[in-house]
Amino acid sequence: MSTKHSKNAARFLKDKEQVAWHDQTLWMVRAKRDRLGKEIPEWEKLRDAASAIKMYSNSHLDTLLTTFEKNAVANGAKVYWAKDADEYCKIIYGILQQHHVKHFVKSKSMLSEECELDPYLESKGIEVVETDLGERILQLMKIKPSHIVMPAIHIKREKVGKLFEKEMGTEPGNSDPTYLTHAARKNLRQRFIHADAAMTGANFAVAETGEVVVCTNEGNADMGTSQPKLQIAAFGMEKIVPDRRSLGVFTRLLARSGTGQPITTYTSHYRKPREGGELHIIIVDNGRSKILANEEHRKTLNCIRCGACMNTCPVYRRSGGYSYTYFIPGPIGINLGMLKAPLHYYDNVSACSLCYSCSNVCPAKVDLAEQIYLWRQDLNKLGVANPIKKLMSGGMEYLMNRPKLFNSTLKMAPLGMGILKSVGFQWGKGRDYPSFPKESFNELWKKGKVK
Amino acid sequence: MSSREEILQNVRRAIHVQYEMPDLTELESISQKFPDKVQKFCDVMKAAGGNTVILKEGEDVNEVIRRLYPDLKRVASNLKEITCATFNPDEVQTPAELDGTDLAIVKGVVGVAETAAVWLTQDMKERALYFISERLIILLDKEKLVDNMHDGYKHIDTGDYGFGLFMSGPSKTADIEQALVFGAHGPREVTVILY
Ligand code: SF4
Repeated sequence: MSTKHSKNAARFLKDKEQVAWHDQTLWMVRAKRDRLGKEIPEWEKLRDAASAIKMYSNSHLDTLLTTFEKNAVANGAKVYWAKDADEYCKIIYGILQQHHVKHFVKSKSMLSEECELDPYLESKGIEVVETDLGERILQLMKIKPSHIVMPAIHIKREKVGKLFEKEMGTEPGNSDPTYLTHAARKNLRQRFIHADAAMTGANFAVAETGEVVVCTNEGNADMGTSQPKLQIAAFGMEKIVPDRRSLGVFTRLLARSGTGQPITTYTSHYRKPREGGELHIIIVDNGRSKILANEEHRKTLNCIRCGACMNTCPVYRRSGGYSYTYFIPGPIGINLGMLKAPLHYYDNVSACSLCYSCSNVCPAKVDLAEQIYLWRQDLNKLGVANPIKKLMSGGMEYLMNRPKLFNSTLKMAPLGMGILKSVGFQWGKGRDYPSFPKESFNELWKKGKVK
Repeated sequence: MSSREEILQNVRRAIHVQYEMPDLTELESISQKFPDKVQKFCDVMKAAGGNTVILKEGEDVNEVIRRLYPDLKRVASNLKEITCATFNPDEVQTPAELDGTDLAIVKGVVGVAETAAVWLTQDMKERALYFISERLIILLDKEKLVDNMHDGYKHIDTGDYGFGLFMSGPSKTADIEQALVFGAHGPREVTVILY
C-alpha cells in the first residue's frame, strides 16, 4: 500500500549523492531566507499585512477584477476572460493565429504549465521557446519543472553540458555553469530578436492601474516583451492586488522568502502596449472560483508562488519535485492538487510530516500544514485512506488511552520492529527503523536519571 | 452567458465573508530606516552583484564613465548631459538594432536603500535598451534615495510609454546547479552613479 509519492521518492532516493545535494542546496536557500527575514524587524508584521491584503483582495475579487479590466482597457490593452484551461489555450492560439505568429517566446509561467499551453500550441504548429534558462533546459530535455522557482534544480551540470553540446554546439565536455549560461544567452538572444510575439505570466495584477507586474532575475520577460510588438500576459485571477501601495509589502517579501534575495533583479510594470504594438491580457479562473467557495481551503489563494514552502519542507527536499503527482510539488502543491481533483492526487497528502515549517515560512500565511491535516481527515470520506495506516493509528489511539499497556508495548518495541521487518511490513519500506534504547525515557525518568 | 459573466457570477457566489483592506500606515511608519541611505544602498548593490560610484564635487560624469570603460565602441544614451555616447538610441528603427550595444547610460528616478533597486521610467523610444545592452550605467540623484519599498512605491510612475521597473543589479541566474552567473539575458554589469 505504498503511495505513489513514496514509490516515486524511492526512485529519487537511489542516487544518494544527488539526494544529499538537493537537500543541502534547498536548505541553504531556506537559511538565506531566514537571514534576510531576520534583518527586518517588522518581518512578521509584513507577513500579516500580505495575508490581510490577499484576504481583502480575494474577497473583493469581482470588483477588483472589473476595476482592473476597466483600467487595462483605458491603457490600451485588450482583456479576455478564460473560465478554464481550454479557453485559455484557445484565446492565446486565436491571438497568435490572427497575427500569423510562427516564433513565440515565453517567460516562465506556472499558469501555462497548469493549462498545458506549450503542447497545445505545438500541436498547432507554433514554435514555443521557453526563455527562462531553467525552463529552456527542461524544454529541450522534454521534461517538467521539479520546483516552481528553481525549475531545473534536479538537473546536474554535466547533463546540461551534454544537452547544450547537441542543441547549441558548445564545446564537448564543458559543463561550467558560466560558460553554459552565456552560450544560452547568445542562442536565446537570436530567438528574442526574431520572435513574432512574447508572453509572460504575472506575479501581480494591479487593479488601480490595470498593469501587470512580472518579477524575474534573468530579465527574460523584459527581453522578450521589448522585441516583438505583440505581447500577451495571462494570470490566474488570485494574482490581483488592489494598488501599487500593496506592492510595497509584496516586493519586500517575495524574493526574500523564495530565493533569499532582497528583491528580484527586475520588477517590471507593464501598463501600456509598446508604441504601435498590442498588449493582450487574459484573466483566468480554471478552478479558482471553486477554491474561493471552499471555506476551509480558500486561503491557498493567498499564495504568491515564492517556493519557500518547498525549500523548507523536509519531505520535498529529500524526495524531489517528481515524487509528487501534481505538477506543483511541495506543501502548496499537495493542497492545490487536492483542490483540483482529490481522487487523482490524494497520494501526495502522505508526503508531509506535519512539522508545520511550511506554514511558518509562508510570506502570505497560507496555513499549508493545517490544510494538509484537514485533507488527511477527509481521506476516509473519500474512501482512499490507507487501511494499514488507519489500523496503525487506530491501534495507537487504543494504546495511548491505556498507559500500562503502552509501557509494556514499548518494552517489546525492538522485538516488534524486528518482526515487522522480517515479514516485510510495508510501512517500514524506505524508512530507517529507529534503534530503540535499552531503557525507555519513562524508565530513566522513574530512576531519576533524567532531570 | 459569456465567460466573463460566468466567472464573475461564480466569484460573487463564492464570497461569503468580505475582509477589510488592512491599514498599512503603521507598518509603513515602523518599516526599516537607514541613517546612511547611501551606504546601505551601496552595500546591498554590492551583494546583488552591481557597482556604485559616488560622483565627487566638480567631477564630470563623462570623465568618470570614460575612466570606467575606456574602450567601448557602441555607447548609447539620449541624455543631454552625456557627451561620451556614440549614438542616440531613439534614432534606431527597430529594437533589434540595439543588439550589440556595449554600454547604455540612463537615468533613474528613485533608488531604494533596503533593496538597491532603482526605478526606471521608460523615457526612450525602445525599452529594449535597458535589457539588451551588455552594460548599463544608471545616473541617480543621491537625494532620490528612500529607505524601503513602501517609500519607493510612493514615488513611481510608468510615464507616457506605460512602462517602468525596479532594477537591482545585473541580470543573473542560478538555474544550473544553483551556481550564480551574471548576464543571463540582460546586462552583465550594472553601475549606479550617485550624484
Ligand atoms: S504557499 Fe506560501 S510559501 Fe508556498 S509558494 Fe505559496 S506563498 Fe510561497
